[in-house]
Amino acid sequence: MSDLEAWRAKAAAWCESVVPQFGKAARKGLTVEEDLALGRRYQSAKFDAGFAGINWPTELGGQGLGHIEKITFEAEEMKHGFPNVYFGISLGMPVPVLMQFGSDREFVKERVIKALKGEEIWCQLFSEPSGGTDLAGLRTRAETDGNGWKINGQKVWTSWAQYSDYGVIVVRTDPTVAKHKGLTYFWVDMKAPGVTVRPIKLAGGDSHVNEVFFDDVKISDDHRMSPVGGGFAVALTTLMIERYVATDSAGFGPHLDLFVDLAKELTLNGKPAIEDGRIRQQIARNYAMRAGLDSINRRARLMMQAGMTPGPEGSLNKLVAVRSRQKLSELALDLQGTDAFLFDEHLSPKDDWATSWINAPTGRIAGGSDETLLNTIAERILGLPQDHRPDKGVPFNQIPA
Amino acid sequence: MSILYDEGQEAIATESRRALEARMNKDDLLPLLQSSGKYHDGFWAMAKEQGWTALALPEEHGGLALGLVELGLIAHQAGRTLSGAPFLTSSFGVAKAIELYGSDAQKARWLPALAGGEAIGAVAFASGPAPLPEQPVVTLTDDRLDGVAAGVSGGLFADVALVFANGPGMPVLALADLSGVGRSVVESFDNSRCIADIAFAATPAETLVVGEAARAAALGILSLQAVVTAHEQTGGAEALMEVARDYAVTRKAFGQPIGAFQSIKHRIAELYGLVELARANCVHAASREGQPDFITAAAAARLSATEAYDTAARDCVQIHGGIGVTWEIGLHLHMRRARTLALEQGSSLFWEDVLVDRLAGEAA
Ligand SMILES: Cc1cc2nc3c(=O)[nH]c(=O)nc-3n(C[C@H](O)[C@H](O)[C@H](O)COP(=O)(O)OP(=O)(O)OC[C@H]3O[C@@H](n4cnc5c(N)ncnc54)[C@H](O)[C@@H]3O)c2cc1C
Repeated sequence: MSDLEAWRAKAAAWCESVVPQFGKAARKGLTVEEDLALGRRYQSAKFDAGFAGINWPTELGGQGLGHIEKITFEAEEMKHGFPNVYFGISLGMPVPVLMQFGSDREFVKERVIKALKGEEIWCQLFSEPSGGTDLAGLRTRAETDGNGWKINGQKVWTSWAQYSDYGVIVVRTDPTVAKHKGLTYFWVDMKAPGVTVRPIKLAGGDSHVNEVFFDDVKISDDHRMSPVGGGFAVALTTLMIERYVATDSAGFGPHLDLFVDLAKELTLNGKPAIEDGRIRQQIARNYAMRAGLDSINRRARLMMQAGMTPGPEGSLNKLVAVRSRQKLSELALDLQGTDAFLFDEHLSPKDDWATSWINAPTGRIAGGSDETLLNTIAERILGLPQDHRPDKGVPFNQIPA
Repeated sequence: MSILYDEGQEAIATESRRALEARMNKDDLLPLLQSSGKYHDGFWAMAKEQGWTALALPEEHGGLALGLVELGLIAHQAGRTLSGAPFLTSSFGVAKAIELYGSDAQKARWLPALAGGEAIGAVAFASGPAPLPEQPVVTLTDDRLDGVAAGVSGGLFADVALVFANGPGMPVLALADLSGVGRSVVESFDNSRCIADIAFAATPAETLVVGEAARAAALGILSLQAVVTAHEQTGGAEALMEVARDYAVTRKAFGQPIGAFQSIKHRIAELYGLVELARANCVHAASREGQPDFITAAAAARLSATEAYDTAARDCVQIHGGIGVTWEIGLHLHMRRARTLALEQGSSLFWEDVLVDRLAGEAA
């Protein structure tokens, strides 16, 4: 057995062992607060078992292993539906950025360990009503205030802000220069006076995203994580931090086996639906697409194992998988006819077609919309021209609103 | 792509690409389309000379004992340069059938010749719409074949055919020497494929597999060929994606390159997705030869490669505007080849069924 196989076996065994405590059955019927509390215990157990911060430095509480070990663990973890979603953003971007750019190392260490144990949660305050895809279009501003700064404005779509202790934030510190040159990157205490968090209910029924208002929120200059005016580069680093995460060719929706089972159970025109050509075609096409992604992902893992950098084709995952999940979920509802009306928003999008369907659009927008991903592929991989940008080089305060 | 290519495989890819790009020209194809019964003999000469014909065959019969992965790499490059002859796939299919099911005498007779490219093999399974018909139209009685195998790619020049026939009450997979057999050329939208109707008339044939096993064996051979073809399709799609990209950055409209318009730019990015998925499925399938999931993997490769090549052909022409539909620029060559390859080893409709039967656990 290779080292990696041994690691996988160890990860799988641990995950199995905690299923009774933290698996789907244990979470059934819990309120969000109860589930979050369970999640914190899960995260702490994970830390104790040596599966938290797998590829982070040991001096910051991590395991000092490689990226390949991390995604190997995550692939095992993903099979069980543990309550870890609350920590995805926190440990995915803000905390790694803090590790990289935080100046007070003692403070950084304390935060990182608490975040790894699930005791503290971080959020990412980038998007605003006036700047989502166009990240540099944001208007929340920070002005100098004595030795520090004063923040005013509004963020939106901030995942888990209502449960967050800290956040990383990009704000405008100079409106008189071109839009991406006047931004600065800070961390903020989400419990500081002047921070108001208001949850937004999403189409699928949950409220994990929020509006966050900043009214004269005072922070000292040691909260700054970029040069003044150099925030855009750090924001981009944040977004690029992990090219390869544990991926799921089902687009984090139901696996195709479930669709095949459904088509075998149900009838269409008096025959098993699995015999219907339209259904067969969708199964086959979805399988071919998902198998392609699986192969790309397996190869990426082999490359990482061999110390190579995976190719850019890994960027296809979210784009291709979530779109297909959305359509396949529609078809699954079609097959069930009026039986499909019965809806329980608490079911998991991984095994319930209606929940998968209603939440799929989120997947096509959050973390880069389809259009953004296509632009990235076109521009970065294929060398096609950038879009026409009339605001290029124009001082921010002269761009027509 | 569930494997990493080793150095030898990387070398095969670069070498074959270099050789093909240096000597093949898509303009060679234009005259072939306007004549009937001719194929790209320059390509076939190169395939022999470079040992591509011997690549995936056993050493003791003159082969190089490499496999589907390596043959796939060559096919991919051939697809890029539009330079394939159908025998790259069909001779391989026939040779594989002989290797797997033939007698020592049959192996000694055919394999060295097929490996050297001196003999050409054709595969006659289809009858019209059905790649593996319930009732094949060619019949086998007392070791003799009768009936017309229609639309056999490469059939015009083949020396030996692998035939899926209707034996006495059961299907058979049979091998027939084609010398002296009547054949007529099929005029096609891709005339370079040398498609022929082969008329068997009491033609002596040797049986390789009998009964339901014959159907399974035929599907196995078809799957092997499908993987080679899928590589060729992916190569063609990849080349078209690059052609589209190159054109989109040079051609201007409204004061900017057309590639700056998202309807063009995103279309090319979508092609990238189709090409990479097809490539991944192809390499994966090639690496699964001989494994229980091979046919499933082959079907997936075939479906995604067909979609990639057809879509790339459609979109690349569209992106070129008027010039795209001219005879001269030759994008129609890819259109023709894309459709030909989509039909040659069974259309997507067939492979969808094969795949779903397997996924639903209902495979024969
Ligand atoms: C569930 C969820 C969680 C999120 N969590 C966070 C979070 O934790 N922190 C955070 O900062 N943000 C978060 N976001 C915000 C997310 O990053 C943005 O929603 C996303 O970037 C899109 O921005 P927007 O909503 O403003 O849409 P817009 O930018 O207004 O886009 C509207 C439409 O225009 C298209 N469009 C925009 N620009 C272009 C272009 N150049 N070319 C082609 N089409 C274009 C978009 O693709 C989209 O279809 C979250 C969003 C969701 C839905």
